[in-house]
Amino acid sequence: MVRVEKVHKSYSSVQAVADLSFQAKPGEIFGLIGPNGAGKSTTIRMIMNIIAPDSGRILFDGKPLTEADKSRIGYLPEERGLYKKAKLGEVLEYLAVIKGAAKPDARASIDAWLARFDLLEWKNRKVSELSKGMAQKAQFVGAIAHNPSVVFFDEPFSGLDPLAQDQLLKVMTELKGKGATILFSTHIMEHAEKICERILLMHKGREVLSGTMAEIKTRYGRNAVQLEFDGDAGFIKHLDFVASVSEYPRWVEVELKDGVDSDLLYAALAGCLSIRRFETVAPSLHKIFITQIGGFAAGSGDGDVGGIPPAGDVSINSPTVEANNDQA
Amino acid sequence: MTKLRHVVRHEFLLTAANKAYVILTILGPFLIFAVTVLPSLLTRDPGAFAAGKPIAVYQAPETLRGTLSASFAAMDIDVEPVDDETTAKQSVLNGERVGLLTVGQGWPETGGAVWYSKSGSEVALYGTAQAALESSAREIKITESGLDPALVAKVLASPSFEVVKLEAGGGETKAGVESYFSVLMTAMVFVMIIYMTVLLYGQMIGRSVVTEKTSKTVEIMLSSVTSRELMFGKILGLGLAGILQYAIWIGMVFVLRAVVGPVFNIAMPSALSMANVAWLVVFFILAFFLYSSAYAAMGAASEDEQHLGQMAWPLLIFLIVPLVMIGTLTSNPDSGISVILSIFPMTSPIVMLIRILVSEPPAWQIVACLGLLAAAVAGMALLAAKIFRVGILMTGKRPGLKEVIRWVGVRG
Repeated sequence: MVRVEKVHKSYSSVQAVADLSFQAKPGEIFGLIGPNGAGKSTTIRMIMNIIAPDSGRILFDGKPLTEADKSRIGYLPEERGLYKKAKLGEVLEYLAVIKGAAKPDARASIDAWLARFDLLEWKNRKVSELSKGMAQKAQFVGAIAHNPSVVFFDEPFSGLDPLAQDQLLKVMTELKGKGATILFSTHIMEHAEKICERILLMHKGREVLSGTMAEIKTRYGRNAVQLEFDGDAGFIKHLDFVASVSEYPRWVEVELKDGVDSDLLYAALAGCLSIRRFETVAPSLHKIFITQIGGFAAGSGDGDVGGIPPAGDVSINSPTVEANNDQA
Repeated sequence: MTKLRHVVRHEFLLTAANKAYVILTILGPFLIFAVTVLPSLLTRDPGAFAAGKPIAVYQAPETLRGTLSASFAAMDIDVEPVDDETTAKQSVLNGERVGLLTVGQGWPETGGAVWYSKSGSEVALYGTAQAALESSAREIKITESGLDPALVAKVLASPSFEVVKLEAGGGETKAGVESYFSVLMTAMVFVMIIYMTVLLYGQMIGRSVVTEKTSKTVEIMLSSVTSRELMFGKILGLGLAGILQYAIWIGMVFVLRAVVGPVFNIAMPSALSMANVAWLVVFFILAFFLYSSAYAAMGAASEDEQHLGQMAWPLLIFLIVPLVMIGTLTSNPDSGISVILSIFPMTSPIVMLIRILVSEPPAWQIVACLGLLAAAVAGMALLAAKIFRVGILMTGKRPGLKEVIRWVGVRG
């Protein structure tokens, strides 16, 4: 269990993280999401004990984080880097032993993981010889080979082909099944939507919204329709009961105004378009992200970020006006 | 501590497996041998130049031929009188003879002597010929003028002169130009060794830290170890590699001394004593820690290797100053400037080592030097750890000096 309580961190005059609180539970994938420079890296570094927060606490199983806890954490940073001139097996073993793993255990574990990711034959080759995708997978192995109980994956899928993405996803699900606490950071909402049980959306160092995926969808959703069709749908956004339309390459998502029944839309479309799919859905996380952060970027200072009204226990904080410098 | 040990081990193995390290470790003693022993080997045995080939002499009077033969016999070189200057020159060009000495008609009064050779650079050979010519000419002139050769020899004999070095313990050792030259040689070699290794290892640490930053490995490392463990792990790992290198070098030098010395009948420079070698190691270790800490801090504050190079030049100056002043320092080891430079920590490892080699600095100065150096090492390590902790995570901008100074005060 990782618990972050009212954490602040600033660099000179720049507030990197402000009043951030959340907790990630064992057996759960927690998504820390937000645009670049939102303060994710600073948050991760504080959880890793690489830097100390100015105020607030970070608790591991109820106790303040210590240097020894580092051995229980696995970390896949967004910016990948392994010692290029060293052999892959040696680098991974080094990373595992400085995490406190015993050498024989580390070796066995590394061999097993490398085999699983089809990298075993590369074990005695230099890291510089690996392709980018292989290096990514190797680094993933480096993050989990010492059997950590808490794992932090920062943008784990970037640069990976779908096959490798699926492999990673499978492993993450397995780790979760074994009771590991998984923190997952990304700015690609489809990934977060696919695997996170709970998320915290941050922007400019502050929480914008947080909750379980179901909660968020409930609070922000229920009044959108996804459409797949043939024909020109340009007229939809001019319908007076439509709040907004998001166009995707193969479908559109239509946001209806409050209290409007989707039947009304269906009736309006009938005869004008050949509809292949008509599905009432919660808005995608992508949509929520764009609306929330977009509202911030537009600089509406009163917390009314438009688009999706907040409801229930899903909180929306006021946007901050400080310039952000994540030091990432 | 276990983590630190792992980092040290990793950095040590990484360095020791480096090709440059292996080459330098193996070639080092040969370079030292080349600088210290080879010159004396060559000057002692100039006959090595001739490789058993004779020297031709054209038109030399009987007495001169006798003197020449006697002088060159000591080098195992034959002196052959020739009748034809042209063929003799040809034989020198062909490599059958090492040189040709022609003596003009009426020598030594009117004609001159000329040395012909392929390279014109065999100083030892024509120096011997010249000495033979001089002594022979003198002899001829004395005989011709009717003076008593015994009387002349008595008049010309040099009076005895010795240089004696007084030692603190009451001992006395013979010194002089030759022994001064030997001490100077040893001092030069020691200074070069310290300068090169300290610079090399310092830059290796600086580069290693910069690479850690640029390759983004640092994030993963810091998720496992503290920045202090990372920095001191690097310094200690490379330091161990450095000490191993010194041990190998010293071992090889003493093997050379024990085996090669007697075989070629050459005496090692007397300054190459156990005590002096021990001082070399002590000053290397202290200088290494001082400069590596500084380089580690600068590496952490640098954006890339080029930036590191720009930032590190003040360190280079401190290393180069004693090197440039080595002549002054060796000829005047107890002057005010020598004393100051041998106590100021950034220059003291090299300067105090020179002073210990060529003179006998007062004990209090050695103690002050070592004490200040140790304090500077501790201070630099603390300062470097603070700069390292903040700097290692900084990317994307080049920090100014003001910013770096601010890092020192950053808490947490």
